[in-house]
Amino acid sequence: MMAQPLSSAIDTAFKSNIVPDQEYLLQGSVLDKVVEVLLHRLRGLCDNVDSGPEPFQDHEMCFTIRTTPTPLNLRVRRALDHQEMPWQLRYIGQPEYGDKMRPTIIRSSIDIGCSATVVEFLTELGCRMEFEYIARGYMFRKGRMKITVSKVFKMNQNKSQESMEPLSESYLVELSVLAPRGQDAIAEDMRSFAEQLRPLVNLDKVDFKRLVHGPP
Amino acid sequence: MILMPNFGVVVAGPPRTVHLLNNSEQPATVFSILESGQKQVPLVSDPLFMDLMKKLASVYTGKQQTRMEAKGPRFEVADFLVKLGTVTMNQNFKGVLVEVEYRPCVVPAYCWELIREFMQGFLGTCAPAQAPVYLQNRMQEIYQPLDTIQQYLEQFREYRKAVTVR
Repeated sequence: MMAQPLSSAIDTAFKSNIVPDQEYLLQGSVLDKVVEVLLHRLRGLCDNVDSGPEPFQDHEMCFTIRTTPTPLNLRVRRALDHQEMPWQLRYIGQPEYGDKMRPTIIRSSIDIGCSATVVEFLTELGCRMEFEYIARGYMFRKGRMKITVSKVFKMNQNKSQESMEPLSESYLVELSVLAPRGQDAIAEDMRSFAEQLRPLVNLDKVDFKRLVHGPP
Repeated sequence: MILMPNFGVVVAGPPRTVHLLNNSEQPATVFSILESGQKQVPLVSDPLFMDLMKKLASVYTGKQQTRMEAKGPRFEVADFLVKLGTVTMNQNFKGVLVEVEYRPCVVPAYCWELIREFMQGFLGTCAPAQAPVYLQNRMQEIYQPLDTIQQYLEQFREYRKAVTVR
């Protein structure tokens, strides 16, 4: 029998800081023509040397729901190359950039594996889909760090995968770690790893709001 | 065994209700059932979904949560699993639910008669003659943990309506 109800078990887990709900993040991009060089470098630096990089192709849908004080963003992801896998529902909080001393962006993040009914569930709940895209690329691991190099494609109406239209002529590079609250040491590890990639890609704390409004 | 905090959901539009359920047989899974008019959308997810529902707190009303629970002993009799659940609603006793599962089989149509006979053995005339309404349209389909949850929800709904203990 269960010792305590699940809801209070989760509360306890949050209080004792064992739920990995903080994402440390650095982002950057490389042009298509030099991506091979970066992949080669990552192949050498990362843990999965024997198995090679792990390819992925994901479909991501971004939903918003009106809540007070700020709207909530929810993302649904599914693997197009592994259709039998569970879908992923993800809540991402407001990013904190901190000052110059802080090595990475920190944002709260809740990752939830779920069934494929999630899209219908969110829609009925009152969420609205804002946009969707396909990300195709490779995933590397280095200890607790995750590195993805992916290309973003527009979602086609007919959804055929051959005629996918890329959104840009570059690849998105992300370095991230999901960890419980207060494990800021990992951010330093990320900074030094980003430093090793510096000649090839500049991984930084990218502020989306500034990108929207253009450089100051 | 099963908990059901109820969330009344009010956004613009028709009223919607989300039921969150949990079964001790699948301790790391949360079953959510969203009801919107006649439509019902189930979602099977990791337990952290409960935390997400808290973040959505401003979407639904602060309607008092009805918490229903069926709790009690669990017996394994050869291939059968029998659970005797004392049903409480906000800690008030409402009745006893008997759950019987025939574990080697996943298609209800192939084992319903067996389950019925087994139940008659210890429940006598109290045993139901017909399969539960929820299962009647799904007798040929492969049974999933969500089907157990749906049947509990159906029973809990009856308990909520009932004035007396049953």
